[in-house]
Order: sequence, then C-alpha cells, then structure tokens
Amino acid sequence: VSWQSSATAPPSDRPGERRGAEMKKLYGKDAAKILAMEAAMQLNFDRKCDLKQPKYWPVIPLKL
Amino acid sequence: MQCDWPLLGPLQWMRYVNKQVKVKAGKDEERRGWLLTVDPVSASLVLVDFGEEEEGGRRASVQVVMGHAVEQVEVLQEADEETTVRLQASFLPPETHSLDP
Amino acid sequence: SIPTSAACDADPELLPTEQHARSVLRESFLRCLLSMANKKIQFHMYERVKVEATFRASDIDVLNFQVSDLHTPIGVQKEALIRCQDVISFTFDA
Repeated sequence: VSWQSSATAPPSDRPGERRGAEMKKLYGKDAAKILAMEAAMQLNFDRKCDLKQPKYWPVIPLKL
Repeated sequence: MQCDWPLLGPLQWMRYVNKQVKVKAGKDEERRGWLLTVDPVSASLVLVDFGEEEEGGRRASVQVVMGHAVEQVEVLQEADEETTVRLQASFLPPETHSLDP
Repeated sequence: SIPTSAACDADPELLPTEQHARSVLRESFLRCLLSMANKKIQFHMYERVKVEATFRASDIDVLNFQVSDLHTPIGVQKEALIRCQDVISFTFDA
C-alpha cells in the first residue's frame, strides 16, 4: 500500500485500552462520542484507500 | 499570539472562536473569516465567510488553514448573536438525531 | 500524541473545562471534514502550487486527504493522496 497508516501511538501491551485511556484524558466525558466519530471516519478513509489505491501527489513531498 | 499556534491548547484557541480573524499562513498569505473551530489534533483553523444573500439561499465559503502553516492570528471583531448562531450551524446535520443516513 | 496544556498542569481544576473545550472544537472540525465529502476543493500548497480536486476522505490524524480527479499542472490524476504537510490552506463552498 502506498498510503501511510495513521498508527502513531507508541506500542503498548493493550493498544485498544491505551487509546481509550488516552482519549478519556483528552476528551473527558465526551471521549466515547469523539472516539466513535473518529472510528467511523478512519474506517471510511481506509476503505477508500484499499478500494482506489491512490498514489501520493506530488510524488516527492513539497515540504520536508 | 505570542507562542507557537499548535501549542496553545483548547482553552486558548477557544478565545478566538466566533471572532472574525485575520490569519497569516505560509509565505505572505493572509486570510480573513469567522473562526468556527480549531482542530485540537492538527491546530487547523476553519474560517467561514458568508457571501451575499442570493436567490435560492445563502452561500458560505470555507477556508481551512493548516495548523502547521499558521504564523499569526489576529482578532478583528466579535460576532453578534445572529452571526454566532449561523456560524455554529454551518456543518450541523439538518436532522439532529443521527450522524449517518 | 496531543499534550494536555501547560495551563492544566499548573491547575488541575481546569482539566474538565479543557476537555470540554477540546471535545467541542474536535467535533465541530470532524463535522466540517464530513461535510467536505464529494465537494470540489481548492488546495493552496507550498511552492505556490494550487490544485483542485474532489474531496473523498481524511484520516483522523489529518495527515492525508484522499481525493479524486486531481487537476495537476500536467494532467488529471484519477485518485490521489495529498499530504497535509504540503498544504497551507484549502477552500470550498459550504
């Protein structure tokens, strides 16, 4: 695949739980709502990239 | 704005929301608009400009300035109540009960 | 990835206020991204590059935009990914 995965979180024993805890710290009582919105959007992005196999433009980044 | 825009944080960004702002970004690029929101992940600003009223409704143009490119943000004026309501309704779904069709 | 602000390190009582502010800002931004689907977007990029494309999707970290019918200076690319780091700003009609 040519696109970059969004997995920027550092590795941990239980990535799902870690992400949940981090979201809770950032968004407090609204964490579940934001997490749900983000999950749907990321899934949509991943599916479109799988389906269309888009290539980066420009090939070389303009800004390094 | 004294320090790096992406480092300000939600409480500071909130002070610019619902204000008309002037944003300098990239090399000598300047934009104006009503600040709808600042993405807390990328620090990107969403600016809305309401066009003239036209037949068949009002149009709005939206500019999003990436947080990493922001050099300066300046408040020009505060929104009145009507503008605030209109601004904050910009991307709300027409029906409030669900996100997905 | 996102640090809590220095304000909250200094005063823990501000934390719920900051969390609420972050949620409101984030939700509003995500709704803006959602509204862009299938719209024509003009991208202003570094090196004075300006291109137009139909927006499809963004990853949630705002690193990449997936677009269709990207009008590059040398022709149309049917499907493309734009690096958000290359972008200064973009505009569209709501």
